[in-house]
Amino acid sequence: MIEVQELTKIFRKPVRGKGLIGMIATLFSRKYTEIRAVDGVSFDIPEGEIVGYIGSNGAGKSTTIKMMCGILTPTSGKVLIDGKEPYLKRRIVAKDIGVVFGQKTQLWWDIPLVESFKVLKEVYQVSDSDYEERIKFLSSVLGIDEFMSQPVRTLSLGQRMRADLAASMLHNPKILFLDEPTIGMDVLVKDKIRTAIHALNAKYHTTVVLTTHDMADIENLCSRIIMIEKGKIIYDGPLGDIKRRFGNIKTLTLTIPPNIDPNEVEPFSNDIIMSVDEDKVILSFDADKVNLEHVVQYAFSKYRAIDMKIADISIEDVVKKILSQQEEEHAKAKKI
Amino acid sequence: MRRLRKYKPFVRASAIDMMAYRFNIITWAIVTVFEVACLIFLWLAVYQSSEGGIDSSINGFTYKEMIVYVVLTTIFGFITFNDDTLWFINRDIRQGTIGNFLIKPISYRGKFIASNIGAFLMMSIVFGIPLYAAGLGVLIGIGYLPVASVWDFIAHFALFLVASVLACLLNGVISYIFGILCFYTSAAWGLNALKTTVISFLSGTLLPIAFFPNVFREIVAYMPFAGMSQNPVLILMMKYDYLECCKVILISLAWLVLLELFAKLLFSRAIKVVTVQGG
Repeated sequence: MIEVQELTKIFRKPVRGKGLIGMIATLFSRKYTEIRAVDGVSFDIPEGEIVGYIGSNGAGKSTTIKMMCGILTPTSGKVLIDGKEPYLKRRIVAKDIGVVFGQKTQLWWDIPLVESFKVLKEVYQVSDSDYEERIKFLSSVLGIDEFMSQPVRTLSLGQRMRADLAASMLHNPKILFLDEPTIGMDVLVKDKIRTAIHALNAKYHTTVVLTTHDMADIENLCSRIIMIEKGKIIYDGPLGDIKRRFGNIKTLTLTIPPNIDPNEVEPFSNDIIMSVDEDKVILSFDADKVNLEHVVQYAFSKYRAIDMKIADISIEDVVKKILSQQEEEHAKAKKI
Repeated sequence: MRRLRKYKPFVRASAIDMMAYRFNIITWAIVTVFEVACLIFLWLAVYQSSEGGIDSSINGFTYKEMIVYVVLTTIFGFITFNDDTLWFINRDIRQGTIGNFLIKPISYRGKFIASNIGAFLMMSIVFGIPLYAAGLGVLIGIGYLPVASVWDFIAHFALFLVASVLACLLNGVISYIFGILCFYTSAAWGLNALKTTVISFLSGTLLPIAFFPNVFREIVAYMPFAGMSQNPVLILMMKYDYLECCKVILISLAWLVLLELFAKLLFSRAIKVVTVQGG
């Protein structure tokens, strides 16, 4: 369904001089710096798969997505969507894809939502019966009918995102690109959106590519993840593998009273890594190896914790770990 | 035909937008009345000080004809040149909303043509009909148009409508070409000023092309701009016979095709340099 081959995008940015003199100088000579936003990326995505495309900020996720949906033209390499290059056959490929950018709406700001849908119905030439059927289904999974007649600018962020998602599905695309669909949403809305993505995938067999910073999105939705850092793929495989490699890592952040010196507390076990940050103690451990309940009890009894917070590992942590592991492997390889 | 239907919403949206700017239109009308009055007095002074006095003909225009010309080009520009193409393109590029169009199965150019047509239709119906009817009444009233030649006038009016549509589309494509240049520079304001100046000077809005020096006049007559204001108005004023009407319409049509092809080429090059702002 999607083939990406040696995809590279280089942005050229003019270097501007500092201050007034620098500004005048740039009028006469232009120097450019090259930024390799995406650097030789290749992967294949079969039909019906939900793939998480993840990486830290500025890793090249959005740039790849924009090349896959035909907004940006690659510097080299190519993307094939169902055998066609989207940036060359824009209008043909556009019928097969739906795109949602979490940061920007594609809906018309000032007109009621239902009018935006009608415009899209015309633009994508959706028949009346298909339109009715899809609207019915999308309303049931996304709950959009309650604000159908409101102008888009009056919608809350969560409502708008649900509306955007529905809009991108009206023409029943084969592929749905979701660029941070849950950004800024509360837990309930996130959940609704995830359920909807699952339902769409199940009903229409839509291939979904989504970028996110939320580990929970990935755990709930994706069977496979592709991880990118500095424009290069650092991991491509099932989610389970990553979990096996790094375990079910959790971090426990404790606030401790001033009379306790964390360095004097006897360690619970070697599987827990402790770090101290002012009055905070951070314990990170593999929840599959260490019983969470025991760690919590231990934290209250030994550290006399006043407050605590449990968090799952973040994408940034996973990226850091993969990178450091790869460096280690490199170093080992060099020694041999 | 079915393929064109998807542009219908854009025709409708821009027609509605046009009416949302009613207040702008009213203020514009007030300003314009003063401008036209100034021009009338200016031409009065020119004709009075010429050798033959007020009844003389300068470069083929009598004083009466000049006044009719000034009034008609003003009405014509008001109804035909309502496009924000350049500003829309500039905004789409700066804010990255161009991506919204690039992922839809519509042509970016087609969307603007649809908007131009929507605005043109709305303005023609709401303002065009009463203004041209009033203008016609005045023309018959001052004896410029003998009642006997009414049928002749209707034929010219039909040709004028064709020329108007071409003028509207020519203006649209030129705006679009200038707009595409916004991909390469952020000087949208300058580009717009340049476009407006070039059009108003070379289209005969400021001064009929007949007033330009010899060689220059010949060149300008074959440029696309003459068809955007002077030629339609002169068709309406029945200054052209049918052969000349057909000639100027064909020139406009040829330019329209040529410029659309150029715009297509320019866009396909420009689109490769798109770097959508904000990630």
